[in-house]
Amino acid sequence: MGESNEDIDQMFSNLLGEMDLLTQSLGVDTLPPPEPKPPRAEFNYSVGFKDLNESLNALEDQDLDALMADLVADIREAEQRTIQAQKESSQSRPYSASLDVPSFSGAASLGYAANVAAPSISQYEDDLPPPPADPMLDLPLPPPAPEPLSQEEEEAQAKADKIKLALEKLKEAKVKKLVVKVHMNDNSTKSLMVDERQLARDVLDNLFEKTHCDCNVDWCLYEIYPELQIERFFEDHENVVEVLSDWTRDTENKVLFLEKEEKYAVFKNPQNFYLDNKGKKENKETNEKMNAKNKESLLEESFCGTSIIVPELEGALYLKEDGKKSWKRRYFLLRASGIYYVPKGKTKTSRDLACFIQFENVNIYYGIQCKMKYKAPTDYCFVLKHPQIQKESQYIKYLCCDDARMLNQWVTGIRIAKYGKTLYDNYQRAMARAGLASRWTNLGTVNAAPPAPPSTGVKTGTTQANGQIPQAAHSMSTVLGEAQRHVETTKDKKPGLGSHDPGAPRAQPLPKSSLPPPPPMRRSSDVGCGSPGMPPKAKGAAAGFPAPPLDLLPPPPPPPLEDDDLPPPPPDFSDAPPDFVPPPPPPSFAVDAGSSLPPPPPPPPPALAPEAAKQTPVVVKRPPAPPKRQANPGPPGGGGGEQDFMSDLMKALQKKRSNMP
Amino acid sequence: MAGMKTATGDYIDSSWELRVFVGEEDPEAESVTLRVTGESHIGGVLLKIVEEINRKQDWSDHAIWWEQKRQWLLQTHWTLDKYGILADARLFFGPQHRPVILRLPNRRALRLRASFSRPLFQAVAAVCRLLSIRHPEEMSLLRAPEKKEKKKKEKEPEEEVYDLTKVVLAGGVAPVSFRGMPAHFSDSAQTEACYRMLSRPLAPPDPLLLQRLPRPSSLLDKTQLHSRWLDSSRCLMQQGVKAGDMLWLRFKYYSFFDLDPKTEPVRLTQLYEQARWDLLLEEIDCTEEEMMVFAALQYHINKLSQSGEVDEPAGTDPGLDDLDAALSNLEVKLEGSAPTDVLDSLTTIPELKDHLRIFRPRKLTLKGYRQHWVVFKETTLSYYKSQDEAPGDPIQQLNLKGCEVVPDVNVSGQKFCIKLLVPSPEGMSEIYLRCQDEQQYARWMAGCRLASKGRTMADSSYSSEVQAILAFLSLQRTGGGGSGNHSQGPDASAEGLNPYGLVAPRFQRKFKAKQLTPRILEAHQNVAQLSLSEAQLRFIQAWQSLPDFGISYVVVRFKGSRKDEILGIANNRLIRIDLAVGDVVKTWRFSNMRQWNVNWDIRQVAIEFDEHINVAFSCVSASCRIVHEYIGGYIFLSTRERARGEELDEDLFLQLTGGHEAF
Repeated sequence: MGESNEDIDQMFSNLLGEMDLLTQSLGVDTLPPPEPKPPRAEFNYSVGFKDLNESLNALEDQDLDALMADLVADIREAEQRTIQAQKESSQSRPYSASLDVPSFSGAASLGYAANVAAPSISQYEDDLPPPPADPMLDLPLPPPAPEPLSQEEEEAQAKADKIKLALEKLKEAKVKKLVVKVHMNDNSTKSLMVDERQLARDVLDNLFEKTHCDCNVDWCLYEIYPELQIERFFEDHENVVEVLSDWTRDTENKVLFLEKEEKYAVFKNPQNFYLDNKGKKENKETNEKMNAKNKESLLEESFCGTSIIVPELEGALYLKEDGKKSWKRRYFLLRASGIYYVPKGKTKTSRDLACFIQFENVNIYYGIQCKMKYKAPTDYCFVLKHPQIQKESQYIKYLCCDDARMLNQWVTGIRIAKYGKTLYDNYQRAMARAGLASRWTNLGTVNAAPPAPPSTGVKTGTTQANGQIPQAAHSMSTVLGEAQRHVETTKDKKPGLGSHDPGAPRAQPLPKSSLPPPPPMRRSSDVGCGSPGMPPKAKGAAAGFPAPPLDLLPPPPPPPLEDDDLPPPPPDFSDAPPDFVPPPPPPSFAVDAGSSLPPPPPPPPPALAPEAAKQTPVVVKRPPAPPKRQANPGPPGGGGGEQDFMSDLMKALQKKRSNMP
Repeated sequence: MAGMKTATGDYIDSSWELRVFVGEEDPEAESVTLRVTGESHIGGVLLKIVEEINRKQDWSDHAIWWEQKRQWLLQTHWTLDKYGILADARLFFGPQHRPVILRLPNRRALRLRASFSRPLFQAVAAVCRLLSIRHPEEMSLLRAPEKKEKKKKEKEPEEEVYDLTKVVLAGGVAPVSFRGMPAHFSDSAQTEACYRMLSRPLAPPDPLLLQRLPRPSSLLDKTQLHSRWLDSSRCLMQQGVKAGDMLWLRFKYYSFFDLDPKTEPVRLTQLYEQARWDLLLEEIDCTEEEMMVFAALQYHINKLSQSGEVDEPAGTDPGLDDLDAALSNLEVKLEGSAPTDVLDSLTTIPELKDHLRIFRPRKLTLKGYRQHWVVFKETTLSYYKSQDEAPGDPIQQLNLKGCEVVPDVNVSGQKFCIKLLVPSPEGMSEIYLRCQDEQQYARWMAGCRLASKGRTMADSSYSSEVQAILAFLSLQRTGGGGSGNHSQGPDASAEGLNPYGLVAPRFQRKFKAKQLTPRILEAHQNVAQLSLSEAQLRFIQAWQSLPDFGISYVVVRFKGSRKDEILGIANNRLIRIDLAVGDVVKTWRFSNMRQWNVNWDIRQVAIEFDEHINVAFSCVSASCRIVHEYIGGYIFLSTRERARGEELDEDLFLQLTGGHEAF
C-alpha cells in the first residue's frame, strides 16, 4: 500500500462530490415522479438499513404466528422510529456518509476507515449507534397474550427459528467491505469491492467476469509479502477480507490474480502425491501413465471416505534455526495431525516422533529466494507462519527441500492435512465453474456478436482510489463497490423499481458469513443470457444453459424469444459482477406475482413480452456508457460512475420505498 | 417305507439300522435307532427321529450333524445314499442355533444364539442384525486367545455377561424402532440395559487393568491377532466351536461404509470402542500430541455418555444455541424488567475486570509477575497500572483473536496461570496471566479460549466452558495426584476420572497425572462443543488418519527370500515390511492387481499386478486362507455402492474369499 493518505483523501472527496452530483441527477432524471427527491442523508440511511429492511421484508413473507408478527411489527416500528430520529439528527451534518459502522469488525477495520474517511468517523461513532442495535432499543414489550403457556414447545421452537432468522438478518446489516487492488499478470491492476462474506471463490468468479479469462481451475488469488519474501495462494474457501485484515496499514503486500498449476495439481495427478514411493525412481514413469479411472478412484479413496487420507510424506529437510541464518538437516514426517521430526538417536516410529508444528494456527507459504536472503541450501523453501505475523520473527518457520518436486509434495501435503476435504470441494467447484465457462464460450459464438468491445482496462473512478485496501466508510463503500461492479445494471433495475424483488432474492441466501454469495448472481446470468456469470454447480444443465441453482429462479426463457426484445447484452455486461441484481424479467414477474414465487416455465406468459419490450429502450440508451467512463473518470463527467451510483441509489430507494410506505 | 419284514422277522428290503444321538455332540446322550434304507430322504429321517423321541418340543431348529464328515445334513430332499451315509455314521440330532459368548468390541461379554450350521458370513450377518449393526460384512469373529495359565492367586472378578439368547428376531423384516431402540430390545429391563451397553460408550478402563492387559511389543506380536480369524465360508460347527464358547466380534475390514452417526448408534459406538482399545492397548501407535486429542475426546465422550445426554440433534447447532440463549434471555427479561435490560442482555458484551498478576517474558529481564488492573472486553485484553488509570490508555492492549491459550496450572501448588501467545504483525507476544483461585481462573480462561476463536463472552458456550474448566480442575485435584491405585470400578464417575485411563500405558509411564491433565484439558478445548456422536465420529476419523491405521499384519515368507517378513494388508494395498526394522519395503495397490491365486498345497499366495509384476509368498503366522480372505474381502468391500443399500451379494463375497473347500 504505497499510496499516501493524500490520495485517499482525495478519492474520498471525489466520491463525495460524485455522490452529490448523483443524488441530484437521480432526482431529476431517473426517478419516476412519485418519488420525491431524496435528501442525501436519507439516502444514506436507506443504504445503511438496506439489509435490515430486506430482512424484515423477508420476515413478513414467512408465515409468522401471532407472536412473531407482533414482534416483527414492533421491530419495524422501532426501526422506523430510529430512522426518523437519525434522519433528524443527521440532516444537519453533510458528511454522515456512513451509518454502517462495522461494529464487529474490530480495531483493524477502524484503522482502515481512519485511513480513508478520517473526518467522518468520529462523528458517526459518536452520534449514531450501530443500526442493528436500534430496533432492539425501542423494542416495546411484545404482548405476552399471544403465547399461552399451554403450547410451549412447538411454539417456542418456531419462535426460536424466527428470532434466529431475525438475528441473522440483523447481522447482515453490518457488513464490512474492502476495496482490494488486484494485480493482474499483465501488470495492470483492478480494484474491486470485497465484502466480508465473500470467499476467494467469489472474488475469483468476480474477476473472471472482469477479465474474460478462460476460467480454468488454475486461476487463483495470490498473496505476496515482498518484505518477508513469501507468497501463497488463497484457498477458495478462505474469507478474503479476513485474510487481508491481518495486513498492516503500511504493508507492501499485494494480491495477485494469476494461474498456478500447483493449486490443484493433486487432483489432476493424485498419483504424484499419493503413490510416489519416496522418490524411488522406478515408480515415476508408471505414475505418469495412470489412467483417468484410476485417478478418480484414488481421489475417491483419499478424499471421500469417513476421513481423508493425507499423503504419506517423509524425508530430510533443512530447517532454519530461529533467528539465525544457519540451516539444520532433520528427518521430517507429515501426519494428519502435524509435522513431526525424528529426534536425534531415535527411530521414526510414531512413539518416538517429536512434534514440530501443528497446522491449526499457521498458513503455508512458498519462500522466495531464500537462498539469497537466508542462505538457504536451495531455493525450494516453504514457510509456516501465523497469518497475523507480518514482520520477521522467530515464530516464522522456514523449511527447505532438496528439489521442486519435494517442495510441491510438502506444500500440497500440508494443505491437505490442514484443509482436508474442503480442498477437494473447492476443486470440484472450480471445475464446475471452468466447465461452464468453456461451454459459454461455445455458446457465445453462436449468439449474436456483442455490440460493444469490452472495456477490459476498467479504469473506473475507484481505480483512482489508490489505497489497495482502504477500508472505505460504509455506505460509501457500498456505493463504491456496487458502482464498480454493476456497470451496466441500471437498466435492469428500472423496470423493477418499486417492487420488492431485489429484496427477495437477497433474502434467500441468508449467508452465515461463510456461505458463498448469493444466487442473484446466477439469476442475472441466467436471464441475461450474455454473461458468463454462471451458477457454479450447474454442471448437468440441459442444452448448454446452466440450470438455475435455486428453485425460485425462473428457467431462462429460450433465447430466440428474448432476442427480439433484449439485445444480447454487451460483453461489458460481464463486467457487472455476479452477486447482484436480478435481470429484467424476474422483477416483472415478481411484480405480477407479488412475491418471489417461481415464475412460469420457459414459454413465457404473454405478460412478459410487453414488459420486456418496455425495458428495451432503457437498455438501448445506455451502451455508450463504459467508454465514457474510461475517458472521463473524474467526478464531473463520470458517466459510468454516475450510472453506477445511480443504480445503487435506485436500489436503495426502491427498497426504502417498499419498506416505508 | 423302510423296515418291511417277513413273518420270521427278517427284513426283506435293503433297510438297515441308523443310530442318531439326540443333543449336541454328547456321546452319552440319548440316542434313537431308526430303520432306514439308502433311499430314505433326510426329511423323512428327521420326521422319524422326532416320532421316536416322542416328546413335545419345538424341533424346528434341529438338524443332523454328521460328526465324521464334519457336515450338517441340511438338504432334506437328499437321500442318505446321496450323502453317502452308512450305518457307521455318527449322527447327532441337535439345534442349529446354539449359545455363544461374544466379546464385543467394547470388551463386554454378551451371550446370544448364533447359527452353527450356516456359513460364518451369514451367522455374523444375523448377529449384527440382532445387535442392529449395519454392514455386517465388515465384521467377523475370531477365536478368543488361549488363556495362559498364569498366577492363579489373582482370581478374575466375576464378569457380567449380558444375555440376548431369549430374544428372537422376526426374519426378513427390518427391525422396528420403539422407544428409541430397536423393538426387540425393549422387551425387558434386562435387554434394555443390554442395548444401552451396546449403544453407549463405556467409561474409561481402570488404568491398572490397562497395564495388566497384554500389549503387542513388536510387529510380530501384532500378527498374533490375525491368526485367529474364523473362516467366513464355513459354519461354526465345522470350525470346532462349541456351544458356550467365547468368540470375539470385531470389525475385521477397515473400510467403513456409509457411517452415519445419526441412525446407527450401536455401530458407531462399537467402532469407537474398537478404535479406543486399539489405541489404549497400543495395537496402533500414535504420537503424544495425537494421544492427547484422543484422550480429550474420550473424556468428552465419557462425560456426555455419563450425564445421560442422548444425542439431541438440536444441540448440535451452535447457532441455535446462541439463539436459545438469546431467547431465554429475552423471555426472562420480558417477564418483568424494563425494556432497556433486553437491549443490554442482547447487545452488551460481558466483560471481565480484575486485578491479575501479569508476567511478560522478555530477553534479559528477571522481572516476575506484577499486579495490574486487567480489563477483558469482547476479544481484547487491556491492562493498566491501576484501576484508577483504567479510563486512560492501557499499558498494552492485546486482541486475543487467533491466539494460543495454554493452561499452566498446578492445583496442589495453587498456581493458576494462563499462558497466551498472541499473534501480532511482529510475531507472537507471550504473556502470562496469574489468577488467584480456580473460580477466577475458570472465568478468564474460558474468556480467553472463546476470544482465541473470535467469540466473546456473550457466546452461549461461555458458561459451559467455565463449568468444563472447573470440572477439569477438580478432576486434577481428586484423581490427579494418585497413580490410579484407589479402586475404581469400570464406571467411575466423571469427577473421579483418572487421566491414566485415557491414554496408552506408555504415556502413563512417561507422564505424571498432573502433567497429563493440563495437556488433555488443552486438547479438550477444541472438542468441547461436540455432541456425543460427533465426538465419536471425530475419534474414529482421527484414528483413521493415523498412518498405520487399518493394517492387518501377517508373517510371510516371500518367494526367493530367506527370511520372514511382514505382510501388511490394508483396504487399498499390500505392504511388504521389514520384520526387524519395521520399514516399508514395498507397496502394491489393489487397484493395480490383476489376479491372485492360492496354492493350497504349498500354502502359497501368488499375486499378479499390472505390468507383469508377480509376487508370491507363503504364510507363516496365519493360514493362507486368512490372507486370501482378507484380500478377497477388501476387493468385495470396494464393490459396494451406495445405490444398492443394505443388500449384500453374499455369493460374490464367498466367491472372492472361498474356493478352498476342496481341500
